[in-house]
Amino acid sequence: MADVMNVGVNLEAFSQAINAIQALRSSVTRVFDSLKDGMKNKETLEGREKAFITEFQDNLQSVNRDLNELERLSTLVGRPSESHPLHNSGLLSLDPVQDKTPLYSQLLQAYKWSNKLQYHAGLASSLLNQQSLKRSANQMGTSAKRRPKVQPSTLALPTQYVDDVISRIGRMFPDMSIELFRPNGTSAVLLVTLGKVLKAIVVMRSLFIDRTIVRGYHENVYSEDGKLDIWSKSNYQAFQKVTDHATTALLHYQLPQMPDVVVRSFMTWLRSYIKLFQTPCQRCGKYLQEGLPPTWRDFRTLEAFHDTCRQ
Amino acid sequence: MGVTCVCQVPVAEGKSVQQTVDMLHKKLEQLGAIKQGNFWVDCETYHATGNATGQPSKLLYVMHNSETPLSSMALFEGGPGLTADANFDVLMVKLKSHFQNAKGHKVESRGTRYRYCDFLVKIGTVAMSSSARGISVEVEYCACVIPGDCWNLMKEFMQSFLGSSTPELPAVFTNKAEGLYTPVDCMDTMSQYLELFGKVRKQQVLPGSGVR
Repeated sequence: MADVMNVGVNLEAFSQAINAIQALRSSVTRVFDSLKDGMKNKETLEGREKAFITEFQDNLQSVNRDLNELERLSTLVGRPSESHPLHNSGLLSLDPVQDKTPLYSQLLQAYKWSNKLQYHAGLASSLLNQQSLKRSANQMGTSAKRRPKVQPSTLALPTQYVDDVISRIGRMFPDMSIELFRPNGTSAVLLVTLGKVLKAIVVMRSLFIDRTIVRGYHENVYSEDGKLDIWSKSNYQAFQKVTDHATTALLHYQLPQMPDVVVRSFMTWLRSYIKLFQTPCQRCGKYLQEGLPPTWRDFRTLEAFHDTCRQ
Repeated sequence: MGVTCVCQVPVAEGKSVQQTVDMLHKKLEQLGAIKQGNFWVDCETYHATGNATGQPSKLLYVMHNSETPLSSMALFEGGPGLTADANFDVLMVKLKSHFQNAKGHKVESRGTRYRYCDFLVKIGTVAMSSSARGISVEVEYCACVIPGDCWNLMKEFMQSFLGSSTPELPAVFTNKAEGLYTPVDCMDTMSQYLELFGKVRKQQVLPGSGVR
């Protein structure tokens, strides 16, 4: 018999115990069989009863014997090692029907995948946190109780301040006029007219630029009920492209602590479109590429490029 | 409603009017333009009657354009013009005593209309009393309304399919009192067509140029 301490399960005692279980099962079956068969045919009633009782007693004693043997063996079998690494999920692997229910292998794959995902998400968040890209007021991370309630005040600016900032920026550029409307509550909607080239509608959320749409100078900016139409696209592909670039620009110019600097940079960038049709592309030297003028303006140098020519 | 430039393309050597027009269509389709229907521009001439002696009677031109089908434009050569609705023709009939229609002088240009990105190109055969006299090409850049801004851009586009027949900046823009940087209106287009029709009238009849 192997040493119980070294080997978690005593294999020989295990097999003997299995045999003992089989013996016990068969003796229990004998008991119920004899009960089912009832009394055997003998000459007298007493003889029949005696034979029946003797048989019954024999069967019960054999059951008792087998049970004792099983108990003795079970103490020898020992417990499986406590340091079982698989715990409850490992039990799934013990009775597999691999073709129809490949549960355990699927479980392992799911765990591996979720661990990898967690790892990559950790890497991504550490990289993204290097650049502060937040456009909302929600504080991430620790609960509000531990951290003092610091809501960025730039999201709840008084409307008068917003009006002042916008009018100051409007005066900065002589060829650009900015009109401020408030058709829906406190959010400002600006109508920027740039020379005789384009009209841009800029929807703001306090001093943050939310959305912009650019149309030609001669296109209609008002909808049928007289309000500013902030949704329909321009009829011309050139201005549709400029709208896309303006949306990229408002995502590029970001500084949550100083939104008026952001608005000023955006307006400076937009102003470079005053020569939309006059400037050739800096890269290819031509005016037209697939029928479009150079619609891209570099964010730092404000040079004109075709959308397909930009680096 | 954008900046338009109307020019005349000479008929290619040894080819008929229709063949030159087909060549232009092919070039445009190679560029990637899409056909978008037909267009027509016509011009009727009226003599002003009852003039003081010795002075040549002023000619009034009444023009129509399929781009603005509900309008009529009336202009004097090099002089003022007006835009009215389609009933203006009926009014001219009523003014028979002052303006007489010179029936044989009606000129019109008919052809196909192509769209390429923000450009509209119209290639038409200029015909006077059912005989083809020449080819007119109108290029409109719809996105811009200031001729001074987009002239270079339009020239580059016209060079890509007209080659050497690319015109210079139309005189109607340079002659404007306010300069090149004022917005265009439909009268500018009509004046250019009028100029072209005038040139075509003075030309000789092209040999073998019956409209097919």
